Amino acid sequence: MISVEHLSKHFEDLKRGRVYALKDVSFEVQPGEIFGLLGPNGAGKTTALRILSTVLKPSEGEVIVSGFNVVTHPTEVRQNIGFMSGNTGIYDRMTGWELVEYFGRLYGLPEDLLQHRLHEVFETLQMNDVRDVLGSKMSTGMKQKVSIARTIIHDPPVLIFDEPTSGLDVLVARALLEAINSLRTQGKSIIFSTHIMREVEKLCDRIAIIHKGQILAMGTREELAEEHQQPDMEELFFDLIKEFEAEQKAIAAES
Amino acid sequence: MTWRNIQLIFSREVADQMRDRRTLFMVVVLPLLLYPALGIGMMQMTLLFSEQSRTVVILGANDLPAPPLLNQDGTRIIDQWFVNEGDSLTLNVVSDLAVDQTPIPNPEGTSKEVPAESSAEQDNFDERETTLQVARDIRLRLEELKRLKEEIAQADESEKPDVIAMKQGQIEALTEQVSTLFARSDIQVLILIPEGFDEYIRAENERLASRESEDERTRMRPIFIRNSANEKSLIAYGRVREALDNWEQAILSERLQMANLPTDLTRPVNEELVDLAKGEELAANVWSKLFPAMLVVMAMTGAFYPAVDLGAGEKERGTMETLLICPALRSEIVIGKFLTVLLFSLVTALLNLISMGMTGLHVLNTASSGQLSALGDSAIPGFEVLIWVGILAIPLAALFASLSLAFALFAKSTKEGQYYLTPLLTVTMGLTVFCLSPAVELTPFYSLIPVMGPALLLKGMLLDPNGQMQLMWYVVPVLLSSFMYSGLALMWAIDQFQREEVLFREAERFDMRLWLKHLLRDKERLPSFSESIFCFVLIMLLQFAMLKTFGNALQNAPAGQESWTMMRLLVIQQLAIIACPALFMGILLTSSPLSTFQLRIPHWKYLALGLFLPIIMHPLVVELAVRLAWFFPSLPEHAKAALATMADGSVPWYWVVLTFAVTPAICEELAFRGFILAGFRKTGRHYLAIIFSGLLFGIMHMIPQQVFNAALLGMLLGLLVVKSGSIFPAMLFHFGNNALGVLHGNLESMRQTSALTKTLTVSDEFGVHYALWLIAIAVGLAIPMIVYLSRQKTARM
Repeated sequence: MISVEHLSKHFEDLKRGRVYALKDVSFEVQPGEIFGLLGPNGAGKTTALRILSTVLKPSEGEVIVSGFNVVTHPTEVRQNIGFMSGNTGIYDRMTGWELVEYFGRLYGLPEDLLQHRLHEVFETLQMNDVRDVLGSKMSTGMKQKVSIARTIIHDPPVLIFDEPTSGLDVLVARALLEAINSLRTQGKSIIFSTHIMREVEKLCDRIAIIHKGQILAMGTREELAEEHQQPDMEELFFDLIKEFEAEQKAIAAES
Repeated sequence: MTWRNIQLIFSREVADQMRDRRTLFMVVVLPLLLYPALGIGMMQMTLLFSEQSRTVVILGANDLPAPPLLNQDGTRIIDQWFVNEGDSLTLNVVSDLAVDQTPIPNPEGTSKEVPAESSAEQDNFDERETTLQVARDIRLRLEELKRLKEEIAQADESEKPDVIAMKQGQIEALTEQVSTLFARSDIQVLILIPEGFDEYIRAENERLASRESEDERTRMRPIFIRNSANEKSLIAYGRVREALDNWEQAILSERLQMANLPTDLTRPVNEELVDLAKGEELAANVWSKLFPAMLVVMAMTGAFYPAVDLGAGEKERGTMETLLICPALRSEIVIGKFLTVLLFSLVTALLNLISMGMTGLHVLNTASSGQLSALGDSAIPGFEVLIWVGILAIPLAALFASLSLAFALFAKSTKEGQYYLTPLLTVTMGLTVFCLSPAVELTPFYSLIPVMGPALLLKGMLLDPNGQMQLMWYVVPVLLSSFMYSGLALMWAIDQFQREEVLFREAERFDMRLWLKHLLRDKERLPSFSESIFCFVLIMLLQFAMLKTFGNALQNAPAGQESWTMMRLLVIQQLAIIACPALFMGILLTSSPLSTFQLRIPHWKYLALGLFLPIIMHPLVVELAVRLAWFFPSLPEHAKAALATMADGSVPWYWVVLTFAVTPAICEELAFRGFILAGFRKTGRHYLAIIFSGLLFGIMHMIPQQVFNAALLGMLLGLLVVKSGSIFPAMLFHFGNNALGVLHGNLESMRQTSALTKTLTVSDEFGVHYALWLIAIAVGLAIPMIVYLSRQKTARM
């Protein structure tokens, strides 16, 4: 269970002064639900998810993950999430098995449970072929599998996927989406960010459209279609962004 | 923090590095191969090395007095005049002695197959003739020069100035010609023997033998020509000098014998030299230089490359975030990485030393002849000393490991990481080279300086294995201070690792103009940490730059006015160098200079503390200064003299108070408790800010004796500002403290007149300081007051 309330994140930029990467963002994710963050590149998706994973600190607002505040109890938060993004690479000089084992130990799994989980995860993800392959020798698909194994080795209640399919071919991407889909049935709270409409349509229970650090619309697919009278997700997305840009221009013109 | 996580990270990093071929090569293979390879190379070089022969030209060789200096055909200086046999071959002599024995030119058409030898001889002969001709040219010009100089010297006032000027011009032209001729020729040393020199020597010998008085005959002196700016000429001259010294000695002996005088006449003292150095001590000397230097350099490089891989490399390979989202604390990650770097640094340093020692030993044992053989076979340092090498390697490696890790974590790519090696290496090499100087020995003060402490301690131990007991005293401060420094560096590394802007540094283009604009546009209420550091660096640089100017001003001060000049300079220094940078930066860079400089009315109790604390603490301050004087290197004499001029009483007391109490109280407070402290406090860690600004305040005082007291005082002043939220109590305190310091300078004279002063103070070998009971009261009162102060709530900024 994830709850984000009035979350803002800003930083100082040489050129533009204070820049908001996130501005007053609020949402909730329930167990057994896949929540989709849909937005173009630079919308603030990665920043939001990095705050959820305690790597970045929020400037304002409150973020509770699995009952723990990310500012006051970062270690407990990290204990209870699995995080995977394009930026969480794997070590070149470690085999798949060693890497997942290493992170399992860092998550504090007792040795016998760890060995059991390792066998289980490697079995379900069908990755016994990468067991003894060094990271540097793996293909992108293999690496992605190892990353997922690392993400779920400690069986966390909350899972965060930040553009997990970027750079993957269709086959691998499909397998990955299936793997994520199967995690829903296990009652996990899952956040999934992407800029690809199709993935959201296929996978997510609820969707938030995010642009320039602000959430433009949020709800189930049906709710969004009804509210904006646009059944086509892609059209809806462009309409919202166009509307937002027009508003911004108007505000800028006024001031 | 749990040990389990640190251990997990440590063992993974070590395993990771062990799988990295580059690291293994740097740490293990390179040292094991490098030194033997160097050893082999050196041996080969010595075998192949032969000195090139230099050309010495002797004109007037027929006039050389006995015993013979040259061989039969005048092409070599005879072997017996050299210390080392075979050195004669390094000098190729061309003399006019050989002219009479001109080789008979080959009769024309005797044979088509002219023997190669004889044609080579002919060439050789021609070459010698040309060289001699050049030498003769030079001699001609030198004679001309001498004549001209004599003419000028003899010229009286009646001579027209333009004639003299013309002659001067001629001299210059001739000198120029001689230089050019000499430089163009292949002559390295030219010796001109005056005509009839052998006759002259013989006559002199006889004159001395018959004890005749000196007659009017002119003295004859051969002329030696060399070019000391030319290395070849210098080397050749050294060799010629050696041979000629011995030869001259032989002539002298003959002369003394003829005159029936003892041969040691010219050496009335004639000492006998006894050298007590044993082979192993000579070796100790070599090792004592090599080992500390190698240990420092290798611990440094051994730490740096793995650190860059573990820090910047992790960012570059995109695994940093993977690590950041695991439950391990940031500090656990950094410490795990630190231990890994430490291990590799230690292994690199020790392997290098072992390999170097073994190779050195082998080379020395093999080289049975030559000068190196003096270093002997028992060249390796004793076992206990080697253990010390291992022990002292730990603090050095720890310091370098934490420092380079902090740099490496800051860098966003391995390439950027490598750039930081240069400044680190430069500073380290500077300190090491200083340590290698034979005059530098371990003192209490040096023992606390990073890198120098361990290096000097090791040097001392290696130099004199029997004197270890005296050095034992230093082991504790050296180890403690070294570990403290590496602890601080490690804290810095952890701090780096917790900052978002360091972890997710974007490769943004740096634009000076934009950045300045940003500084002035997006002003914050208070200065930033880096702005504070910049302010301090600016103050230090200005001080450094003005040293010369102030020194000159002081030297040019009219006699009797030195103290006046000194005071004026001090006031200028305070205003221009210390207060101005801080004030300018505060007004330009912050939106609230009032809060930056803490210009607020404080609660009266802080003003009272600022007023009374310095009075109460004064005996304590003096006691500390007096008791710790032995610890610091003593001041150079000229500095002492400068300090003495200030207290010579030629300046009215209010000027002294203005210079030493009022100005610093305002200027130094504005800079150090105003701008600099405010920037440090922005991190939110007020006590760390107080300590750090206090330390910088100490460093600013430059004179080692003042550094310690000033640092402590700076911290107390910082506490006063942080608690009161105002700079005025600190100014009051600073004024009181310095004014009492001035008073203390006059205590000696006051003791003569005032009975009260006499009861309050003691004068002994430490100087004038206060009575023990007074110090006890000071401690008893000051401690509760400081504790009370520190218990107050921190004021808002």
